[in-house]
Amino acid sequence: MTVMKNHEALVLGIDTGGTYTDGVLLEYYSRRVLATHKSLTTRRDFALGIGAVIDAIHIEDPSAVRMVSVSTTLATNAIAEGKGKRVALLLIGYDPELIANFKLGARFATPTYYFVRGGHDVYGREKEPLDLAGLLDTVNRVKGQVDAIAISSYFSPLNPEHENRAYEAVRRVTDLPIVLGNQLSTRLGSVERATTAALNASLLAVLQQFIIAVQRAMERRHIDAPLMVVRGDGTLMSAEFAARTPVETIHSGPAASAIGARFLTRLDDALVVDVGGTTTDFALVNGGQVRVGEEGARVGGYKTAVQAADLLSIAAGGDSHITLSRDNKRLEVGPERVMPLAYLAHEYPEVAQRLHTLSRRSWVQAAPEWLEYWLLLREPDGDSLRNDQERALVALLAEGPQPVPEIVSRLGVLHIAQIGAGELLRQEIIGRAGLTPTDLLHIEGRAGLWDATAAREAWKTFARFQFKEPDELRRQVWERLAENITYAAVSFLSGKQLPPPAHPEDRDMGRWFFGNSLQPAHPHLETEIRLRPHLVGIGAPAGALLQDVAAALHSDLILPKHHEVANAIGAVAGSVMVAEEILVYPHLSLQGVDVLGYFVQTSDGRELFEEEEAALAYARALSQERALGAAIRAGADNPQVIVEDISDGLDTHRIRARAVGNPRLEKP
Amino acid sequence: MDLQRIDTQRTYRELLELITTLALPPGEPLNEQLLAGRLNTTVTAVQEALKLLAHDGLVTVTARHGIYVAEANAADLAELSELRLELEGLAARLAAQRATADDLAVLDALCREQEAFARDEPQRLFDLDHRFHQAIAAAAHNRYLAKTLEQFFGLSRRLWFLALPWLGSLPGAVGVHVALVEAIRARDADRAERLMHAHVEGFYAEARAALEEDRS
Repeated sequence: MTVMKNHEALVLGIDTGGTYTDGVLLEYYSRRVLATHKSLTTRRDFALGIGAVIDAIHIEDPSAVRMVSVSTTLATNAIAEGKGKRVALLLIGYDPELIANFKLGARFATPTYYFVRGGHDVYGREKEPLDLAGLLDTVNRVKGQVDAIAISSYFSPLNPEHENRAYEAVRRVTDLPIVLGNQLSTRLGSVERATTAALNASLLAVLQQFIIAVQRAMERRHIDAPLMVVRGDGTLMSAEFAARTPVETIHSGPAASAIGARFLTRLDDALVVDVGGTTTDFALVNGGQVRVGEEGARVGGYKTAVQAADLLSIAAGGDSHITLSRDNKRLEVGPERVMPLAYLAHEYPEVAQRLHTLSRRSWVQAAPEWLEYWLLLREPDGDSLRNDQERALVALLAEGPQPVPEIVSRLGVLHIAQIGAGELLRQEIIGRAGLTPTDLLHIEGRAGLWDATAAREAWKTFARFQFKEPDELRRQVWERLAENITYAAVSFLSGKQLPPPAHPEDRDMGRWFFGNSLQPAHPHLETEIRLRPHLVGIGAPAGALLQDVAAALHSDLILPKHHEVANAIGAVAGSVMVAEEILVYPHLSLQGVDVLGYFVQTSDGRELFEEEEAALAYARALSQERALGAAIRAGADNPQVIVEDISDGLDTHRIRARAVGNPRLEKP
Repeated sequence: MDLQRIDTQRTYRELLELITTLALPPGEPLNEQLLAGRLNTTVTAVQEALKLLAHDGLVTVTARHGIYVAEANAADLAELSELRLELEGLAARLAAQRATADDLAVLDALCREQEAFARDEPQRLFDLDHRFHQAIAAAAHNRYLAKTLEQFFGLSRRLWFLALPWLGSLPGAVGVHVALVEAIRARDADRAERLMHAHVEGFYAEARAALEEDRS
């Protein structure tokens, strides 16, 4: 039995990734790891995977746990895989022609966006009256087809009046959750703000469900402690705050892994590569801190206004689907994630049997389509199925997982693409399984949780179809992955990209240089890419995938002890941080020539000062006071405040106060 | 509600819906563990939500015999309708005096939505009616009045569900709403108050008749 001293505090860190859930029990002050646990994330009911970790991780006295903190890539994955809820985005004062001409519509992260007349200008003055009637009619028209509403008004951080009026009116006609742009960011980029609002709205339900699931699991285990959630820059926020602004959790997984890597290795400078099931994420530890992006974070191809760890996330991971390109000529790894066949065969012995039989057939009958299975993940609710085809598909899969050609034949279509399964996949009623790097790890004996024989037989079939040796094909996959990861690492650090090949024999030296550095081929020129800091690998598949990457970059691969749960450790190693931002900008006369004073704009009001200095001083004092108060309420212990003045140009000052402290872990 | 934990917020909303739609009927005993399981939430959240619902008058907490969904009887109805009649009338009067252009835009939008869908969807019609009353309460620009009336909406929604088997649809309501909005737009406080009075009185008369029908 562990004897707890007075100055000891147990904390539980959990990382729920898209594929795996990791947990760690830590004594906070000594940083001693007391227990760890890893299990599969169960996406249809998160409580199962989290509960499995909380139940299985050995805690002698659950009541001694003083804090539970979770980091999750749920938000990032939901966006990357398009699995957020449907959002109606209302754009007030945006120029439809401008948006169309520059094709900015694709940036909004939702196809259902609507223009409303209104908005303010760069000096916070109303440029057009708000068309509230039009806005309400739009909402009434679309509210039945969406799950949440986001509202972004032009220059709302300078004057949120139209967003606030819109909010008061819209909540009278619908109970759908409403997100306002000005509450998420004080950045003036109108497209980023709209995107962030839309993304936040799409994530509300996902995160809320997640938080409640964790609270339930905690209750079952008799853990009564504050619940914190990791933000995209690795700091911690309260569960309630996270539920209101889920978009701030994007990249929290990689941020936590970077903090966990720093914590475990005590390295002040490192490139941290986190290989997960769905994505591989890159972060940089520089001078002991995780590097934070000055620009807003990018996720799923969208540029947001969220400030998060500067990192790169690529859709290549342990569970990326290994397939052939359409013309059956090229090997492709990802970007889609599927359930590994080894897992499917383990769960469904009849699938293992089929894969065995398939491996003995001639190549004509064993086309790769036979290696992709669809399965029923859960029963659809009530009569949510929309048409006969969906019903037929669900009925068929209720018999058990089926390979694609079987589905095509039984449903009477010519090609799998003719089956409109998008909605069923989106709602995780059905899922897909196929060959993945995880299967290869099973074949190589480097992973052993599931059915390695089935994986081997499936791989044999796949190789035979291409007239290749299974071992050689396996090496090709690792090479491809290592190449993708190396390329991503170089791109991440240099901030540059290679142009796509224009021509198989193109003359681009950059491309040649890169290729020659990974695979020395030139008889007279040796090129090398050398990584300065250490390469730290995190995540269970890291050992297998990153050796080659480290070699290509002429660096050492460091796999710290407990690297499989570095995310979970990072979840508790972060500090509690609250930032308050206040804008100061000039009040212009009607003609726009004379400066009549300076506005200090906070989220709930605006004050006018005669002198700029007085306005700035007031903004600094107010933001500091608010940040301190909010940090204490959020659970920070003796927070310290730093106030910065960031000028956005155009005489606008962004005053940002950041209050940071360790989590308060006193006895209840 | 924003200050409550996330699980409490959601559980409160769900229990409110279950009680007002009679899925949890009047007098039904409430077991915290069972409810937490059924709603997929924590026991703590159910406890907190039940406290809030007791405050709303929809749940009764007894010292020794447990927690129950509050009864709905004719006496309650009479007292509730007495108060609501006056307060809703006041809200209509104040709305006529204080409604802003934004308030009228909301009321117009609600009227338009009402006209747009079929008459044989009584639940949708009722929900819209509820929104309408909420919008008028908001247009009165007195937050205490709005808060008080909000508390009654839960109770009256439940009464409507009880009366539903005996009520026809509410076709008359559409016409009343349009007239009310016109009175508010014209700043005619007397007419607004009268129309609202008649509207609420009519509802309660039907509900009373239905409850008595139910008892017999």
